[in-house]
Amino acid sequence: MMALLEIKNLSIDYLTRNGTVKAVDDISFSVEARDSIGLVGESGCGKSTTGTAILGLLPPNARVSGSILFKGRDLLKISNEELRKVRGKDISMIFQDPMTSLDPIMRIRDHFFELLRAHYPKMDENEMKKISSEALKSVGIEPSRLNNYPFEFSGGMRQRTMIALAIALQPSMLIADEPTTSLDVVIQEQILEVLRDLKKTKNMSMVLITHDLGVVAELVNKVVVMYAGHLAESGDVYSIYEKPLHPYTKALLESIPNVKLEDRELRYIPGSLPDLKNPPKGCRYWPRCPYVKDICKRETPPTVEVDGRKVKCWLYGGEINAGIDKTSSAVS
Amino acid sequence: MKTYILTRILLAIPMILIILTIIFFVLRILPGNPVMALLGPKAPPEVVKAMEHQMGLDKPIIVQYGDYLGSILKGDFGVSAYTGVTVIQELMQKFPATLELTIFAMTIAVFIGIFFGTYGAYHFGRTLDIAARVYSIFVYSFPVFWFGIMLQLIFGVWLHWLPVSGRSSPFMIPNHIYTGLYVIDSILNLEWPVLVDTLYHLILPSVTLGVVISSIFVRMVRSNVILSLSSQYVVAARARGAKEKKVIFKHALKNAMAPILTIMGLEFALLLGGAVLTEVTFSWPGIGSYLVTRITYRDFPAIQGAIVFFAMFVAIVSILVDIANAWLDPRVRY
Ligand SMILES: Nc1ncnc2c1ncn2[C@@H]1O[C@H](COP(=O)(O)OP(=O)(O)OP(=O)(O)O)[C@@H](O)[C@H]1O
Ligand SMILES: [Mg+2]
Repeated sequence: MMALLEIKNLSIDYLTRNGTVKAVDDISFSVEARDSIGLVGESGCGKSTTGTAILGLLPPNARVSGSILFKGRDLLKISNEELRKVRGKDISMIFQDPMTSLDPIMRIRDHFFELLRAHYPKMDENEMKKISSEALKSVGIEPSRLNNYPFEFSGGMRQRTMIALAIALQPSMLIADEPTTSLDVVIQEQILEVLRDLKKTKNMSMVLITHDLGVVAELVNKVVVMYAGHLAESGDVYSIYEKPLHPYTKALLESIPNVKLEDRELRYIPGSLPDLKNPPKGCRYWPRCPYVKDICKRETPPTVEVDGRKVKCWLYGGEINAGIDKTSSAVS
Repeated sequence: MKTYILTRILLAIPMILIILTIIFFVLRILPGNPVMALLGPKAPPEVVKAMEHQMGLDKPIIVQYGDYLGSILKGDFGVSAYTGVTVIQELMQKFPATLELTIFAMTIAVFIGIFFGTYGAYHFGRTLDIAARVYSIFVYSFPVFWFGIMLQLIFGVWLHWLPVSGRSSPFMIPNHIYTGLYVIDSILNLEWPVLVDTLYHLILPSVTLGVVISSIFVRMVRSNVILSLSSQYVVAARARGAKEKKVIFKHALKNAMAPILTIMGLEFALLLGGAVLTEVTFSWPGIGSYLVTRITYRDFPAIQGAIVFFAMFVAIVSILVDIANAWLDPRVRY
């Protein structure tokens, strides 16, 4: 069966005054119907860029190549008007900052009406009210609040409103770009609860973007780990947690703050993300990698399949590493 | 909101009082004597004395100031030294002409500003944006006089398409004056030829003033729309499938309007300055022409009256701008 969303060899550059930022470099992954995938990685690794590219919402200085097939159609090739019809109806997106995602001078109701009119110009007002009320109710907000303005809502309510807007037309895919990052812990939990609920009740795929593997673990069944615009590793969530293959995935998992840890020290990955205008030759992770070898500095590793997972690391790459036992790899 | 507007009105009073005081004393410090201006340098001294006494100019300056404040409170703004009519009567008679001109000019400026500013912002860095920026810089450098005279030359003198002076042709004044705005009065009277004549006369002066002030509007709209176009709610609206037209006008422009309105209110004083020059260039019988004429006659009450009137006009407009702002932005309204 064809995947719902299939991203193939996607590369995205940002043209800036001081050079080209290679934000995303040749990544491929797919999302099956009803799959929930987590797109994880440190800040600046290109997660938002990838998510935003799916709906064609990148800023004008972005240059995209590759293909983004949604139900077999390449979203990078269809016309603007066709793409517009996909947005909000087939694929929805919510963003990191709920405080600025709603238009401050527009009533909540008009946000819904805008969505509905954009896709069903002839829908009558009663029908629109019904759909908006129901969507709002499904995220735990009183339909009477439709008449409010965004500034009368708290951050958590605004994010729930964004979710309600995103799911009102029953899209087959929701892209959530760090939907909880800017909220406090209690509210984060509320939003996650709403998403969990949606996963159960709606027939919907999710792409959950986050820098915190811990947050998404229970919500997703697949994980795509990005590092500096490269796809480091992707695969089933359990096996990645059990046994990360890529050294970066391992470091990322270890950096999750664990409340049960005796020594409550916050771990972090030493070093920092490379400058994407001048990424290091070879593997982009090598300057921080404890397993670095000569070849890593010279050549970009190929993406290979290991245990049904994809990994882009010389530890698993072809004949050069014939000597290394793949299944009990050096990383674990 | 109501108390806020009330406070604004109350705050306007000291401001107007200050302006009034400054203009009062500045006029008396500057060289130039109203009696001399009126009678000429060869008038016999006893006539001059008598005239000064009649105008109250022989009284101590503080008493004159007190008298003037009294006349403002009474609402007649004093009596013109030149015509002997109360200044308020003269101002009320001239004001509609100025109002009509500024409304038309403002409409033209806002239209150009929104059109060029919004499309410039939308096409940031591309041809349309560069065109908008060049337009705004080019027009900003136009002196009002020069631009007005150019238009008069081209459309009046060479092409004979449009009249170059006054508000109307002889016998083309609305039969019955309701508002003093000829456009409205001629419509109310159903006098279509008068309406057409009035509009003909309005075109050149209001285009002159409108184009000159549009430069500021284009810039303001452009920079504010660029800002709001880059905000998250614009991206979110697009992600919802909103049409580009809606995104630009309903989200970006409407959000950009609140700061624009505020600045427009502040710029209004500048607009009136431009209006004075335009009125003089086109012999437009408004308060600007009135002010300039009376300056040559050193008609103190008239000059003071016109300035105070402008100050009040500016104050009222800035209060109206606040109300419009509240209407636009719910965060202010509540
Ligand atoms: N409009 C832009 N112009 C130029 N560079 C950009 C632009 N937007 C993003 N970038 C750069 O592209 C890279 C990837 O950015 P992106 O926002 O996709 O990262 P991210 O993984 O979402 O990070 P975060 O966790 O901070 O949201 C970063 O280096 C960023 O500086
Ligand atoms: Mg991001």
